[in-house]
Amino acid sequence: MSAPRDVVRAHEFDGITEFDNRLPNWWLWTFYLACIFSFFYWLHFHVLKTGMLPRERFAAEMAEYEARRNEIAVSDEMLLAKAQDPEVLASGAAVFQGTCLPCHGPRANGVNVVDGQSILLPGPNLTDRFWLHGGRPVDIYRTISQGVPNTAMIAWKGVLGANKCVDVTAYVLSLRNTDVPGGKEPEGTEYVEEGVR
Amino acid sequence: MLDSPTLDEPGSARRTAPRGPTLDRLSCIDARGARVKIQPADVRGRFQVRKRLLWIALIAIYVSLPWIEVAGRPAVLIDIVHRRFYLFGQTFNAQDFWLAFFLLTGIGFALIVVSALWGRVWCGYACPQTVFLEGVFRRVERLFEGTPAQRKRRAAAGWTTARVLRAVGKYATFGVIAAALAHTLLGYFMPVRDVLRAMTSPPTEHPTAFLFVVLTTGLVYANFAWFREQLCIVVCPYGRLQSVLYDRDTINVGYDRTRGEPRGALGTAGAGDCIDCRRCVAVCPVGIDIRNGTQLECVGCANCIDACDEVMDRIGRPRGLVRYDSQRGFDEGRRQFWRPRVALYAVLLVVGAGVFAFAATRRAPFEADLLRARGPAFTLESDVVTNAFVLHVINKTPDEATFTLRPEPDARLQWTLPITEVRLASLADQHLPVLVRFRAADLPGGGSARLHVASPIGTRTVEVRLVGP
Repeated sequence: MSAPRDVVRAHEFDGITEFDNRLPNWWLWTFYLACIFSFFYWLHFHVLKTGMLPRERFAAEMAEYEARRNEIAVSDEMLLAKAQDPEVLASGAAVFQGTCLPCHGPRANGVNVVDGQSILLPGPNLTDRFWLHGGRPVDIYRTISQGVPNTAMIAWKGVLGANKCVDVTAYVLSLRNTDVPGGKEPEGTEYVEEGVR
Repeated sequence: MLDSPTLDEPGSARRTAPRGPTLDRLSCIDARGARVKIQPADVRGRFQVRKRLLWIALIAIYVSLPWIEVAGRPAVLIDIVHRRFYLFGQTFNAQDFWLAFFLLTGIGFALIVVSALWGRVWCGYACPQTVFLEGVFRRVERLFEGTPAQRKRRAAAGWTTARVLRAVGKYATFGVIAAALAHTLLGYFMPVRDVLRAMTSPPTEHPTAFLFVVLTTGLVYANFAWFREQLCIVVCPYGRLQSVLYDRDTINVGYDRTRGEPRGALGTAGAGDCIDCRRCVAVCPVGIDIRNGTQLECVGCANCIDACDEVMDRIGRPRGLVRYDSQRGFDEGRRQFWRPRVALYAVLLVVGAGVFAFAATRRAPFEADLLRARGPAFTLESDVVTNAFVLHVINKTPDEATFTLRPEPDARLQWTLPITEVRLASLADQHLPVLVRFRAADLPGGGSARLHVASPIGTRTVEVRLVGP
């Protein structure tokens, strides 16, 4: 039984009719506010272009990430400065223990001493004056970061990230020219640098 | 108490036009679209007792679960930030997310089976909306502002100091409870001791968690102070699935028309058991008249059952004028449990839940994925071919484990494994270089090799696909 106020709408389908009851006000108002919001949303993203669309935001984030992760601006001076920083050296030593030690030896001289026997390891002696792929700090960084094809020296940048590569480069710089005894024979060419190591 | 939405024609006898909630409109929204606050009367009865006991248990579980540990890990923790998910002793990382599909479909079908059999028992007994609204917030309201009759009297008397204090006390308590609920919810997404630490440190140290708690408190407060049954009626899709899931054998709350009609005051000759006392209408939290039949708004709270039973007791009639029964039960007096619909839903439930349980417990305890190192597929020096790989090892168990690499011996191959042993914490991973060298003449075009990754929790064998000229 319907009261005089209830309006039945004109259409009818299979005997089913429809009342025209008032929608809840809260529902209507959230709808109206959504419409107003969407107008300004459209202006912001598609007309005035004050906001970045998802594709643009992704590209910007990727560019920033690539810059941070893979392309740290390195120079000889920057790396030598890092080699004086105890925190960097501590981090580099930790990376070395975990990653570099199996090939370059616990004393970074390319050998491992077990029961008095000296075993030659695949990695070169890092404590002498001779370098296979260049002895400048940026050369050492590049060797670590991009690797050497065809060897176990993989591109560690992809695994450790540029920051850790810098840290371990600094650590290696602190080891070079220390000539730890009992190490592997020199390989490569000598690198002599004016001034201090 | 509830305004009659149907207007009587001037001068007509009140008895001829049916009063009260009709099927034609919602009771909680008036003709101008404004909200009509529903104030259900107090009700006592056996279903209220059962509900309250269940709610105490459910709230206790909700509040205590973030603190419970299984095998040294939280029983339930969805750590989205660190991509670690713990569920009663099982650990999952982001790679296992596909299992969530089966878990959710299993839960969904469980709900569907229960609905097809017993209607909206979830809504009336276990849904957090009901548990917190009826079990906590309405009790607080009742405590501060009294019965609906008292509230009406006080409202008519205007804003006295006492009334203001009651309202302030009520809303302040609502706020505190909402904040407590929000922090408990955070404990499911953040280790609960971190939540405690965050509560005693400045918000700037954990902005996301703070924002989450602020928003959740606001939503919970607005929901239980104002929105209430609108969520059940307008927002929640579950109630609207009823029409698809129900059939004539679904048990739900209903009115025995045969027994109750025609309604008449007590003592009327030829009248049915319904004396039109309208207690069922007065106690209804969603503002319907159950005598009009199964309705969208009805959440199956059984308040009307308890109310009517109480009245029937007082007038010396048998209980059950409003009771749990199926449509067939009301019409024919018999119930049917097994039918094709129930069997189908049960099968889907077993598939969903079963696949999840099976897959979750049969997962490999660690991942060992071999990837080609960046660069050319192979390098050739004189006649020695080198293939460079990176082995990605992920420990997926709740405990630390040590993994050892061991290549399958093959006279034609020379393996270079700079790191053969690695110790990984739970859900930690590491990349290990792997190099394989062979003479081009031994394996023209390449071949395959095997690398074993052994650990105390099992061994996996990785197929190494070698490429050559």
